[in-house]
Amino acid sequence: MTAFNRRQFLKLAGATSLVAAIPRSLSAATPLSNRVVIIGGGFAGATAAKYLKHWDNTIDVTLVEPNATHYACILSNLVITGAISMNRINLSYDGLRNRGVKIVQAMAAAIDPVGSKVGLSNGATLDYEHLILAPGIDFINPNPAGAERLYDPNLTPHAWKAGPQTTLLKNQLAAMPDGGVFVMNVPKAPYRCPPGPYERACIVAAYLKRKKRRSKIIVLDANPDIVAEPHTFGTAFSQTYAGTLEYHANVGITQVNSSLKTIDTTIGTLSADVLNMIPNQKAGQIVFDAGVVNDPTGRWATVDPLTYGSTVYENIYVIGDSQATAQPKSGHMANSQAKVCVDSIIRAFVGETPDPQPTTNSACFSPITETEASWLTAVYQYDPTTHSMKRVEDSFGEAAEPSSENYEHMFHWADNIFADSFR
Amino acid sequence: MRKSFYPLRTCFVLITATATPLSAFSEPPAGRLLAAQCAQCHGTDGSGYESLAGESADELYDELIERKYRPVEDIMDRQARGYTDDQLRLIADYLGSLPRASSSDD
Repeated sequence: MTAFNRRQFLKLAGATSLVAAIPRSLSAATPLSNRVVIIGGGFAGATAAKYLKHWDNTIDVTLVEPNATHYACILSNLVITGAISMNRINLSYDGLRNRGVKIVQAMAAAIDPVGSKVGLSNGATLDYEHLILAPGIDFINPNPAGAERLYDPNLTPHAWKAGPQTTLLKNQLAAMPDGGVFVMNVPKAPYRCPPGPYERACIVAAYLKRKKRRSKIIVLDANPDIVAEPHTFGTAFSQTYAGTLEYHANVGITQVNSSLKTIDTTIGTLSADVLNMIPNQKAGQIVFDAGVVNDPTGRWATVDPLTYGSTVYENIYVIGDSQATAQPKSGHMANSQAKVCVDSIIRAFVGETPDPQPTTNSACFSPITETEASWLTAVYQYDPTTHSMKRVEDSFGEAAEPSSENYEHMFHWADNIFADSFR
Repeated sequence: MRKSFYPLRTCFVLITATATPLSAFSEPPAGRLLAAQCAQCHGTDGSGYESLAGESADELYDELIERKYRPVEDIMDRQARGYTDDQLRLIADYLGSLPRASSSDD
């Protein structure tokens, strides 16, 4: 059954965009339902599905996700060095199924925001009352026009979406000869998981110090300074990993040649044995397809932080990495935003306005050595005057120093957020 | 085309609720959304590792206030600084109203 193909959907959306602002509640033709469709089964989408059912199990919840299971980015840097296995970060959707969430293993191919329909890669069409978009990030090709094909993530993995990319980078690191050079970059902010690239640099450096002592890691940061936990990572780079890790701030990348493993930068051309190129990022494609990418950078969806509703369509919400509030893009934040979003949807079903003072938070643990971790945390409060989420400055901070106690807490934190999102 | 349809949405939902009752659900209990933001680290409804559910509201509130105002020692001292005292009271009251945690995370 293909009621709409992609082009028809887009054409329909374009042709009728002028009437998009008319609430469908005034249209007698639309059957009223309590169906919520969620696109994307990462931390944002899974948490939304779980909490809709947890708080009101009469709501009809469908989660559309192409993969059979989810590989968490959380802890995935530890997979790359072999400290933990892929199974440790493999999260099943069975917990959501047991709560009554319908899991549809497919890609969302097109959205008709006026008719409130989603077209799927398997040909099916889903109607929705509320649509939550949670596809995470997509990557921007680092190369200039005409040279795009010289960049190939299957040769130079980003490993910034966990799964096969993680395994690929792990295997390349394991196969790298002693004396080899591991080159990685930090994308231009905003990108997924602010401390993530620095954490990876530390963990790879620790591995090299132990297993390949003549090797080194070069870190190319597109930003003017360390983006997250500057004290923790600054100390690790200049002291713990001195001699193994070389850090350069403010480096622009002009071209990547994935088959040669070379990278042209503003500090010269580097040749790598392993090239861990992490491209700059934008909202997932389906957010563009839905027509809700409208922030000034043209990369993310502007939303109302009381609901995470798009500013374009009343009943399309964007949570997690694809939305444009200035909150950090992380699994913890995605979980946090999902709760605010579904609370507002549940209130809407019973005629209530959203909570006027929502909070979100982020807390994470980063391994710094093979036995020690740091933490980073912040709370965000809604500011009615600017209509935005504001970080509470006293709540924002990093651990005084990495510790083995934090390393242990890291696994408990991961298990709790895995369970809170997926079970 | 910035949306501002809450009154309309309200109107629409009232019609829905009359025609086809969705659930016995009413407005969410105070503190539920706030307290849900503790669950990433403390488990759904406060019943994971570092379990909170079933502790008394007053005990929870006292600990949150202590952590908010003492010098920062750990991650929770930072977290507690993110909330007003009134919000900490709501969180403590909500978690205190939940059944005591079992050994599972759910």
